Amino acid sequence: MFKKILGGLLAFGALALGIFLLIAWESSIDPINTANPGAFSDEQIRRGEVLAGLGNCETCHTTDANKPFAGGRAMPTPFGTLYSTNITPDPKTGIGQWSESAFSRAMREGVSRSGSHLFPAFPYTHFTKLPDDDISDLYAYLMSRQAIQAEPPENTLEFPFNIRLLLAGWKLLFFDEGRYETVSSKSDEWNRGAYIAEGPGHCSACHTPRNALGAEDTGKAWEGAIINNWYAPALNASNPTPAGWTETEAYQYLRNGGSPFHGVAVGSMADVVHDGLKRAPDSDLKALAVWLSDLAQAPGEQQASERSASAIRTVQNTQNPSTVMDEGERLFTYACAACHYNEPETPNTLRPDMALNSAISAPTPVNLIRVTLNGVSLKEGIAEAMMPGFGEALSDRQIASLLAYLRATHTDQPAWANLEQQVRDQRP
Amino acid sequence: MSKFYRYLNQPEGVKTKADQDSDEGMRVSRRGFLIGAAGAGFTLAFFRAGLSFAQPEDVVKDGTFEPTIWYQIEPDGRIIVNIAEAEMGQHVGTALARIVADELEADWSMVELNHVDSDPKWGLMVTGGSWSVWENFTPLSQAGAAGRIALIEEGARLLGVSPDQCEARNSQIIAGDQSISYGDIVSRGDLSRTYTADDLKKMPIKPATQRRLIGRESRALDIPDKTDGASRYGLDAKVDGMVYGRPLIPPTRYGATINNIDDSAAKSIKGYQQTIVLEDPTDTVPGWAVVIADSFHAANKAAEKVKVDWAAGDTADVSEQDILDHGVKLIESSDKGSIMFPDDGVDEAFNDAADIIEQDYITHTVLHVQMEPVNALAYEKEGVWEIHTGNQWQSLIIPVLAKALGVKEDKVVMRTYMLGGGFGRRLNGDYAVPAALASKKLGKPVKLVFTREDDTRFDSPRSASYQRMRMAFDNNGKPSGMEHHATAGWPTEVMAPFFMPKGANDEPYDPFSIQGAAHWYTVGPHRVRAISNDLANATFRPGWLRSVGSGWINFALESFMDEAARHANKDPIEFRLELLKTEGKNAGEAPNSVGGASRQANVLRRVRELSGWGQDLPKDTGLGVATSYGQERNMPTWTACVARVHVNRDTGHVKLEKLTLVTDAGTVVHPDGARAQVEGAALWGASMALHEGSRYEKGEPVDRNLDTYTPMRIRDVPEMELEFIDSTEVPVGLGEPATTVTGPAIANAIHAAIGVRIREIPITPEAVRKALNA
Amino acid sequence: MATEFELNGQPVTVDIENDTPLLWALRDDLDLTGTKYGCGIGMCGACTVLVNGRATRSCITPVAAVSGATITTIEGLHPDGQHPLQKAWIETQTPQCGYCQSGQIMQAAAMLKDFPNPTDEQINNAMGGNLCRCMAYVRIRKAIKMAAKEMNTSGNTAQETGAAANE
Repeated sequence: MFKKILGGLLAFGALALGIFLLIAWESSIDPINTANPGAFSDEQIRRGEVLAGLGNCETCHTTDANKPFAGGRAMPTPFGTLYSTNITPDPKTGIGQWSESAFSRAMREGVSRSGSHLFPAFPYTHFTKLPDDDISDLYAYLMSRQAIQAEPPENTLEFPFNIRLLLAGWKLLFFDEGRYETVSSKSDEWNRGAYIAEGPGHCSACHTPRNALGAEDTGKAWEGAIINNWYAPALNASNPTPAGWTETEAYQYLRNGGSPFHGVAVGSMADVVHDGLKRAPDSDLKALAVWLSDLAQAPGEQQASERSASAIRTVQNTQNPSTVMDEGERLFTYACAACHYNEPETPNTLRPDMALNSAISAPTPVNLIRVTLNGVSLKEGIAEAMMPGFGEALSDRQIASLLAYLRATHTDQPAWANLEQQVRDQRP
Repeated sequence: MSKFYRYLNQPEGVKTKADQDSDEGMRVSRRGFLIGAAGAGFTLAFFRAGLSFAQPEDVVKDGTFEPTIWYQIEPDGRIIVNIAEAEMGQHVGTALARIVADELEADWSMVELNHVDSDPKWGLMVTGGSWSVWENFTPLSQAGAAGRIALIEEGARLLGVSPDQCEARNSQIIAGDQSISYGDIVSRGDLSRTYTADDLKKMPIKPATQRRLIGRESRALDIPDKTDGASRYGLDAKVDGMVYGRPLIPPTRYGATINNIDDSAAKSIKGYQQTIVLEDPTDTVPGWAVVIADSFHAANKAAEKVKVDWAAGDTADVSEQDILDHGVKLIESSDKGSIMFPDDGVDEAFNDAADIIEQDYITHTVLHVQMEPVNALAYEKEGVWEIHTGNQWQSLIIPVLAKALGVKEDKVVMRTYMLGGGFGRRLNGDYAVPAALASKKLGKPVKLVFTREDDTRFDSPRSASYQRMRMAFDNNGKPSGMEHHATAGWPTEVMAPFFMPKGANDEPYDPFSIQGAAHWYTVGPHRVRAISNDLANATFRPGWLRSVGSGWINFALESFMDEAARHANKDPIEFRLELLKTEGKNAGEAPNSVGGASRQANVLRRVRELSGWGQDLPKDTGLGVATSYGQERNMPTWTACVARVHVNRDTGHVKLEKLTLVTDAGTVVHPDGARAQVEGAALWGASMALHEGSRYEKGEPVDRNLDTYTPMRIRDVPEMELEFIDSTEVPVGLGEPATTVTGPAIANAIHAAIGVRIREIPITPEAVRKALNA
Repeated sequence: MATEFELNGQPVTVDIENDTPLLWALRDDLDLTGTKYGCGIGMCGACTVLVNGRATRSCITPVAAVSGATITTIEGLHPDGQHPLQKAWIETQTPQCGYCQSGQIMQAAAMLKDFPNPTDEQINNAMGGNLCRCMAYVRIRKAIKMAAKEMNTSGNTAQETGAAANE
């Protein structure tokens, strides 16, 4: 009996493996001689550059600013560390020998030229939505970059996650290959925005939580997630900031790196804005804003302004009128208010208002902790504005009381747990 | 001339047997004045007794004239007034120069200030006690007048007219339609003269009505450089080849020794040089080490990594409560302390009293937290030690520095810089000692910079105080006797014991730590007992802090007077006015305290009018009053204050809404500067009452930086209404008196607002809530 | 590491440790001592300078963080020390010891860009990080309002201080 069962299982296993291998197996695509950049029109390269910007390829595929696209950037995942690849036209270490079809297969199917499966840290789950023209343009752009010889470090994934073949199974479960499909009930602009967000922009790669196997949890789409130790806030209606993402607000944020009703882009989002989206035309960012404000079910512009003013006013009205304050309020008054105080009706992006800020109403304090500790560099947030970090100036307890004060007085969200420990954990 | 010697001569409230003809006193009275050529110009200066036969030129050349202030007139007409007083925000140079310039009939736009170094030949250098204007007014007026007379005489000669045809005005000698400028007189004439002390006394000082600068609005000469970063403070001092040091301060102020230093972790810091242990023969900084580096940043970073194993001194576990408890014990031991003046009849008054009230008051430790943490640059140059730092009392620290360095006092010179806040912290120049020791040890210039945390740990704070007040009432409900027992750490005992006068029981006392107690109220026999808190003295070096004892003494005294008024069912102002009788010892004496208690009554009446005393106020809002004579009976600055507060009964938060202050400071030399001083001093008092206060735990103050030590900020500032009594009496000090009244006025206003009495400062919301719930 | 930035209109390079606070770079390496050290933890405002026109506490700003930025210190606020705020500070005789005033003035300069007609409430909040131990606050407030009035009437706006535009 036992043997019979065992035998049956083995037989089933062998069959399953066979089928799996059949599906999993991908052939190698022949190498080409490195493409001649002259083969691409300037116009095509320019369009490719915009696409590369919308996808912010450069940030992930660059470690040294002098060696753009040469890869090597570490990407910590729950399964180990991956290193981005060299996507310059270098024939040996880059994609110089990749034909456009090899490139297209990588983008849309997550398979490298050699036929091995790519880890979904490379968001082919999104790039699969790119139409042929966009693939061609992007190919043209990348192939006309300077070739840089650079071998990225070996990935350090743990067994069994280091077995690329298993990715075929992952794809079976979580990958739908296919181009973007226009939603006919929406405007062209909305569709353009949705395409950018879901396709090249791969926004949900950060803003949607992932499941245990590292795939986007479609049941919780756009609900916000922790990525690279930053919190990417919810983009749907569950976002708790008082004003919501109106078109104006979203456009300003994507264009400038900050907006009055939400604050400024830090961490990975700062890279998205300042390295990536800066290459995109206003029309694309406006399209994104249209799509986002729909997703977020944003209030009207007027209503957003009123809500924001009301949030600031509420905080100011409940401010301690007296001169003796508890620690958190005192620290805010002495160390923060000089830059963060606003008139209710005119919150200033350069003075991010804590009553409106995404970091204050987020379910996790990680963004607020990191910004308080390390500040906002000149390259992040609004161009040319910075905030010094208070990591060396304030103790864990002080930062915890400051943040607890902000959370309690500036939002109606529940208190963050173990703040002091969380601050300690975030120290470099 | 010395301010401190006056305490030996005439301490607070009583004439002791200390002779009126002390050497110092004689010297002052025999001082003459001379004018001598100096380069192309002339120097005008007091000369010392015994030099009266010297040639003016020699005296000028050798600099053997009396140092306090002297001035030069240059051929281009500039008048350079030399100031030995420290500039720390009081615009002292401007005030002193205007006294001279007024009598000199100088063109104010031609007047410049020069802050001098501490060459020992200049004698005693100290800036404190709000004395500068008061003590210099008459001699400077005479000095200005002497210069004017000489310029008139010489101008007349050059114009070919007789001196009585001439008038001095705006740096010109004018005779009819002729005139000659001071610069031309200096260029062409010879001003050399000497005046004996008697000549000087007879100098025709202008009547107040003819003053052209004193009492008029003017701009302080030090201000423009303070708006564009040009002013140089001690922290800005630099010299070639200097290294930076950051001190490693032991866990106790005294008695600590270093067992071991491990700097291995610091060696990774770029720019770190070494850590040196200081050997201090003066015991100013026992158990100290200094981290030396190329830059302050490197020293700072390395200091965090140097591990020092100290054996702490005896006070490593002392707390604020220990100090206060010790104070109570001292007060309850009747044999302790100094009886400030004879107290005949006090015991009888209390024995015969129909009624007695008694209350205890506490004030907690106050830190200076002057904006510029202490620092010093020290180096040897051609056999002389140069100490570059901001300091208020060079003469006190130079002997210590000389001993520390093993050189004679004339081999130490202090270069004076602007002070980034004094408030008494820099009367104690102890911070210069470790810089000097480090420089000596290394053989190169050392710039020792204290971080704010270092500064706070090493502060000479205002000691916590404990006081017990008692008042006897007779059958008519009138005060018939009073006792005031006060204990605190005594700065003068620790740092300048030779300045302590003896009380009626022959015990010495720190005059600064009890000043304010010898009040002008007529309350029958009066006992003031001052007791040094030796535990405080051992735990830290008590400091002089803006108004010193008057700060805590008046908190107790004026709170208690309020309690006494309520006990007697009297209006607090009316009660005080009835006791401010211009009679007996409270009649006042010319010139300083002329008018006596009547002048205090006058400011009190005036503040009653101005503040709308007695008006209907919103719920939980109240007015409180306090009045004082400033700091010293023989230099009284009559001050009265009404505070308006609102108290939130739920939270216990006290909102200070308004301060009304009336000051009679006699002649006001520099009115705008005077207002600034009263504004600042009043807010200091309020800040100490509501925002500040620290406490000692484990032998050190718990507050180390401005994250937890929280002086008043701009949003806390109440509405303020200030008034000065128009007066031509002797000008007295203004830097501190207002500090003494705001605290008790606030406590009294809280009582008026919500009916609870807070007898402890700082006044915390917890204390208010507790009192409300009691 | 060498850090380059623009200081009071001049390009400068300092070759010091990256984590050196801007404050000490200015004071000790660039000899501009008008910017003061008070607390080292961003609580007193004495070290305030403008980074790209925004008030910034230089004591907690590593020098490397301002690489490529435009820095204005009290020495560079106006070539002749005649910025409306500086004039108002003298007119109202605001400074006492003066040590905090560089920071107060720089903070006020930045504030007036955001709040050109500051109310008391705005002053309380924007200047709340600047401690004046002499407690010259009454005059600081008065001077700010005086300067604001002059700047608004003369069209003498904050641009001359190297401010970045608001939006």
